[in-house]
Amino acid sequence: MTQPEGSAAVTSGPRRPGQTYAHLAPLFARFAEMNTDDNQRDGLRDRLVEAHLPVAQHIARRFAHRGEPLDDLEQVATVGLIHAVDRFAPDRGVDFLSYAVPTITGEVRRHFRDHGWGMRVPRRLKDLHVTIGSAMSELSQRLGRAPTARELALHLRLPQETVLEGLEAANAYRGLSLDRMLTDEDGAPTSVAALGEADAALERVEYREALKPLLAELPERERTIIMLRFFGGMTQSQIADRVGISQMHVSRLLTRTLEQLRDGLGRGS
Amino acid sequence: MQDADVTDGRRSDGAVVLRLVEPPPPPGDHQVELRVAADAVWLSAVRLLAGDLAARADFDVDAVADLRLAVDEACAELMRSALPGSTLTCRFAVCDDRITMTASVPVEKSRTVDTSGFGWRVLRTLADDVEVITGDDSPGGYPALGLRLGALRRIGTP
Repeated sequence: MTQPEGSAAVTSGPRRPGQTYAHLAPLFARFAEMNTDDNQRDGLRDRLVEAHLPVAQHIARRFAHRGEPLDDLEQVATVGLIHAVDRFAPDRGVDFLSYAVPTITGEVRRHFRDHGWGMRVPRRLKDLHVTIGSAMSELSQRLGRAPTARELALHLRLPQETVLEGLEAANAYRGLSLDRMLTDEDGAPTSVAALGEADAALERVEYREALKPLLAELPERERTIIMLRFFGGMTQSQIADRVGISQMHVSRLLTRTLEQLRDGLGRGS
Repeated sequence: MQDADVTDGRRSDGAVVLRLVEPPPPPGDHQVELRVAADAVWLSAVRLLAGDLAARADFDVDAVADLRLAVDEACAELMRSALPGSTLTCRFAVCDDRITMTASVPVEKSRTVDTSGFGWRVLRTLADDVEVITGDDSPGGYPALGLRLGALRRIGTP
């Protein structure tokens, strides 16, 4: 990863042939000279950002098909572009694109690092994740309980170390892309009866008044998972089955949601 | 042990070293100890260790995930109570079909664990047994506050 991947794209394959950004160079000089309280400054900034949007979109598309939606990538790339416009110093003798392309690319990379698998996760581990995910639900069905790493290894004819590595990767890489790979989308509807029991259990606890507003802030799926695990007495695998997502996904959502609830409850006290 | 030459007290790097609050384990047990700054950024390291030990001890994936969550919750609670700049000591003992985690931090006097809130319910749901422990005073005169969690392997031994 020595060369920013977007750079070649921008110079060799612009969206509209012959499009150049050279005519904008004088505007950067003007922008840099303006005082921050100049009321024309914002307008000029907008103009510079808009004029370079194709560059940001181009870089975003270079990172498409890696598990993050293109819309998100374009948004992140645009943030990178805005940073580049704000920080560019025309008097350094470098043209704007040479500065902007690495800046935008860096922003997109950071997004992957924070929200997805990132580019450093080997393909092998991603594939392994999918393999383990399906083996887990198959074995859970057959055994009537969650399998162990050893059972997964036997079932998949893989060394146990490999399975342990795959399970750890599942925990280490949070991110939607990961869960999307397991086609979580078409889930089974949550049982109303199970939730009813959980609601009744919540009504019996002393701290319900502190907890309820925090639960209400959660997305419906996260709230359901918390209710079923801590008030409905269901295991993570059972919840996974009910909600229609993988056990590994339930586990990640629980980790994240409990942290949120801790912060919320901590703030209240 | 790496710090065998370190006696109780404040080390040169500023970390507070607590006296072990438990008697030495019977032979045959596996013990792993992890010390981290009492700061939530280290929770992922503690979770990682808990998950790896449980998976290797042949706990099923639900039990592994529950232990990770329980350890996360317990250590987060202790870190919130810990003296600023102090160290969380987290010890795991793997013995037959049981994993015990004991974590402790130095705290201000009178600091304790709330056993009436949601956090306690989380611990009680996820672990097979939970105990609040108080240790010897650490050398600064600060008491140690800890939590001990036990998790059992439910399916047959491998």
